[in-house]
Amino acid sequence: MSKIRYFIKQSWLLILSSFCFGLLLAIANAAWYPRILQNEKEKLNKLIVGLVSDANDFQIVIEDVNIPGERGKIIKTDIYKVRNAEGKTAGFAFVGIGSGFADKIKLVITIDSKCEKFLGFDVLSSNETPGFGDKIKEKEFRTQFKGIVAGNLEIIKAGEAKNGKVMAISGATVSSESVVKIFNIYIDKITQKIQEAGLD
Amino acid sequence: MTTKTTEGPILGQTFIAGLWRENPVFRLLLGMCPTLAVTAAVKPALTMGLSVIFVLVCSNIVVSLMRNLLKPHLRILMFTLTISTFVTIADLFLRAFQPVMSERLGPYVPLIIVNCIIICRAEACASKNGLVVSIVDAVGMGIGFTLALCVLAGVRELLSTGMIFEAKVMPAWFVPWAAMSMPVGAFITLGLLLGLVNKLTKGKS
Repeated sequence: MSKIRYFIKQSWLLILSSFCFGLLLAIANAAWYPRILQNEKEKLNKLIVGLVSDANDFQIVIEDVNIPGERGKIIKTDIYKVRNAEGKTAGFAFVGIGSGFADKIKLVITIDSKCEKFLGFDVLSSNETPGFGDKIKEKEFRTQFKGIVAGNLEIIKAGEAKNGKVMAISGATVSSESVVKIFNIYIDKITQKIQEAGLD
Repeated sequence: MTTKTTEGPILGQTFIAGLWRENPVFRLLLGMCPTLAVTAAVKPALTMGLSVIFVLVCSNIVVSLMRNLLKPHLRILMFTLTISTFVTIADLFLRAFQPVMSERLGPYVPLIIVNCIIICRAEACASKNGLVVSIVDAVGMGIGFTLALCVLAGVRELLSTGMIFEAKVMPAWFVPWAAMSMPVGAFITLGLLLGLVNKLTKGKS
């Protein structure tokens, strides 16, 4: 009993402060999170339009696709159909999430209307090391994925980047591997779902 | 009456100390990580400075209010808890209302948690002084940090792009020094400015 009293006497301020600060954070999060989501949505729209050259509009065609992620964890994602000005399918897009070097990496990945080739990707959010890992956002790295066959990709450190092989960023191998891993985790399930739904 | 006559100069000195005599960047060499990382342009430097002022003022207020209740062996834990709460609020605010700037600053906003200036002021000032002195100290130190960042960023942005606040100020013949926007530019500019400040304050400290 005396041990519990001693513990409370020593740490009551810490416990009380934790509750107060937690409440403060919950209020701030509740107030601003809808706006943060709206910002992310606007950014996603901008990125998809930028990745698919003749994109006119897009909409979610398959919701909550279950992707078996790292350590058996199931990740949910939506598949977007991108249409051109004539109303025809210009491609598909989805958001892929995976672990990077410093934090989660969130990508927007686009594939063509026949699910045969990647149209490219862009980074929705990441906290990779500035000057190294954050080079995954740069055009030089991203263009390697444009037009590559939509299947399992491999990261290489030397040699020629072709036939599903992507050259890693010097000094940022972990970040480069994380990007490729995200592609590999998602692509089979996404193409399977599109084909099952008869959207291709 | 006596209190009023002594408090004024003390508050003034506390405020001025952060701006020059104990400037966090140029005199105490604290907060070097954001000083080098976010000063490629004035806008991100100013945003970082304002975020630090917010966190510094809020954490100094909380620490000052609870200073008599702090247990010596738990104080650093309490400081970290307080600072991380306000940093998270600042981060959420930037993500909600300044998404482009939030993205540009990247991990450096969450990294304010480990900024030595804030924990230093909590330990050296707020945990030993009253509310008013703590607030004045936080504002002085915060403005001092922000000004230092902006001076550094101003020099780098001007030389690397010929612009200030993204507005062209250099003549057409000026060739931008790309290196100034890179880490090497940050180190060179900081080194030169530290040398200048040391020269100006020689024999005065």
